[in-house]
Amino acid sequence: MTWIHVYLLAVGAVVTAGLSVVSITVGLAIGILVCAASLSRAAPLRWAARVYVSFFRGVPLLVLLLLIYHLLPQIGIDVPGVVAALVGLTLCTSAYQAETLRGGFVNIAPGLVEAGRMIGLNATQLLVRIRAPIALRLTLPALVNEGIMILKASSLVSVVGVGDITRTAQNLSSSTYRPIEMFATAGVFYLLLNVIVTRGGNGLGRLLGLPRT
Amino acid sequence: MSGDVAITLRNVVKRYGDHEVLRGIDLDVRHGEVTCLIGPSGSGKSTLLRCVAFLEEHDAGIIRIGGAPLGFDERPDGSRIRLPITEIARVRRNIGMVFQQFNLWPHMTALGNVAEGLRQVLRLHKREAHDRAMAHLTRVGLAERASYYPSQLSGGQQQRVAIARALAMDPKIMLFDEPTSSLDPELTGEVLNVMRDLAAEGMTMLVVTHEIGFAAHVAQHVVFLDQAQIALEGRASDVFRKPWHPRMAQFLETYLDRGASVLLGN
Amino acid sequence: MMDLDALSDAFPEILDGLWLTIFMWLAGSALAPLLGLAVALARRFGPAWVDRPLWAIVEVIRGTPFLVQMFLLYYGGPFIGLDLEPTTAGLLGLTIYGAAYFSEILRGGLIAVPKGHVEAALCVGLNRMQIIRRILLPEMTLLVLPASVNMFIVLLKETAVLSIVTVPELTMAVTGFGSANFAFTQAALVLALCYWSLTELSGLVGRALERRLDRFRIA
Ligand SMILES: Nc1ncnc2c1ncn2[C@@H]1O[C@H](COP(=O)(O)OP(=O)(O)OP(=O)(O)O)[C@@H](O)[C@H]1O
Ligand SMILES: [Mg+2]
Repeated sequence: MTWIHVYLLAVGAVVTAGLSVVSITVGLAIGILVCAASLSRAAPLRWAARVYVSFFRGVPLLVLLLLIYHLLPQIGIDVPGVVAALVGLTLCTSAYQAETLRGGFVNIAPGLVEAGRMIGLNATQLLVRIRAPIALRLTLPALVNEGIMILKASSLVSVVGVGDITRTAQNLSSSTYRPIEMFATAGVFYLLLNVIVTRGGNGLGRLLGLPRT
Repeated sequence: MSGDVAITLRNVVKRYGDHEVLRGIDLDVRHGEVTCLIGPSGSGKSTLLRCVAFLEEHDAGIIRIGGAPLGFDERPDGSRIRLPITEIARVRRNIGMVFQQFNLWPHMTALGNVAEGLRQVLRLHKREAHDRAMAHLTRVGLAERASYYPSQLSGGQQQRVAIARALAMDPKIMLFDEPTSSLDPELTGEVLNVMRDLAAEGMTMLVVTHEIGFAAHVAQHVVFLDQAQIALEGRASDVFRKPWHPRMAQFLETYLDRGASVLLGN
Repeated sequence: MMDLDALSDAFPEILDGLWLTIFMWLAGSALAPLLGLAVALARRFGPAWVDRPLWAIVEVIRGTPFLVQMFLLYYGGPFIGLDLEPTTAGLLGLTIYGAAYFSEILRGGLIAVPKGHVEAALCVGLNRMQIIRRILLPEMTLLVLPASVNMFIVLLKETAVLSIVTVPELTMAVTGFGSANFAFTQAALVLALCYWSLTELSGLVGRALERRLDRFRIA
């Protein structure tokens, strides 16, 4: 174990962090759309949202990644492994986030919305000023949790050749014959990233004035 | 029966941190009598009752149940020793307790709740435990609800099952901590009736309650607790009809205006 | 579409893979909660000094990817005299991983049992062991059911990761068949549908179970 190894793993950590940030962000955007569909008045939209959530939560991420990695070239889209990895991670997390957000909306105390209606807010105002912020407050802890889940799940992108922490550790382990040190150090990097996400989530919670947990 | 002492408290002190919740309580509860403990919120009524059940450990003083020291004993030199856990369990066997929140076990039927102690503690055979539990449910008027789960019973029914559960262990003393405070007025009556019957049968009872009517008509002895101390005690008629104690008069007015004004005769 | 001959040739292998997946899942789902319960009970009722180390171990396991843990166990194990068959290593890894999560779920359940229910048991005269066995464990089970069903589904999905350390379970069997026949996409699709059915099915069973236990819930 030398500093070179630590440096290489740190580079892997940047890749892992980048993948996680992108997929969480894009996943949130898609998640909002899917959540809206699941709460919509049109039955086909609700059904589609339900199947979407059920499928991407029900299939192991590894299988999803393998599927996408081989499916894209077959339908004429030739992309590097990173893109396949990002697509897989994003689809997976978007389904979880959609479900979390839906729970947030469903659990808003009806009285809060009624109070808004009584002071004369219209439907859009109710959504933007009352329901969405409350849903976000209710779901923030779960969303932070989802960030940590995706951070760990992203280790599977190593199977499609992306040089994240895990892939780097694998390479180093086979070149140095020191799997224990390499994978243990990889674990430490994941723990560090976890701490950062948790801290960030707490900071965000304070910003929104959420009760401390 | 009446006359000898069922529970004795001598100089009992209980603290949470440096907050003294009981400041040297002296109290005698006689056999066969109903003693009601009243007082403003936060005065320490629940704490006192929980100390008598040894759910809370008192910090000083001594509590005796039927003469036997509860939890701690005093050496001749005045130092305290903690009694072994089996001894605590033996003394506690004399006591049954009924809680404000019922505390029925949700995964057992009414019958299961009542039979649990008979099976596990008294080690009775299934048949006998069943019969005895059934008899106690009948006594509180719930024989036909024996196979219901707590979630399927009303609050009043749950509390009556809880009373049956305590009675099944054949305690010499029953403790009640605001047994009707989480019940609707119409359900309060059915629980108070069960308690009244129990009192008429000569059960020794120590009852924390805000039901002044019950205290006035059923209790032989009323204890008014205020700011962690016993401010006033005596026969129900004396305590209620002559509220010469200023805090007592204030308490009766603020907490219990309806019933109390009748009792006060004004 | 799919090469039917190749499929029928590979069918026994795929079926073996499916059975192994189900075996690993069920065995892991039986062992992980047991180990998790031991950890939860030790942390709640054991001597004070066991709490911190157990907390640290649980947090490390919950904070790192299952894949990295499996690599550590499978490739690192031999260096510390732990030379395990892939399947054995897989089951051990799955159990330890699941146990960390279950210990937290069960500990939460133990804490959530109302204090008054324990006090009522003390007043009736049950001893410590009886209270744990007769009151705390059953009430806890009720409280943790939804989270546990979730966790069982997570474990099912994590069994796919075991293919990376050469456990011949479903994912390995199907992808092996696929890559041998240049039909990887179809194979992966079939695989996805297999897991999807399994997870949906366990979700259904879990929800039905929850409904059945509803009558034990007060308020
Ligand atoms: N576990 C505890 N930790 C700290 N303080 C406590 C605890 N339990 C009770 N207290 C405090 O002890 C005091 C007496 O409480 P207790 O519950 O005995 O009052 P009470 O007379 O039963 O009141 P109420 O009529 O509201 O039930 C209160 O000031 C309460 O805040
Ligand atoms: Mg009280």
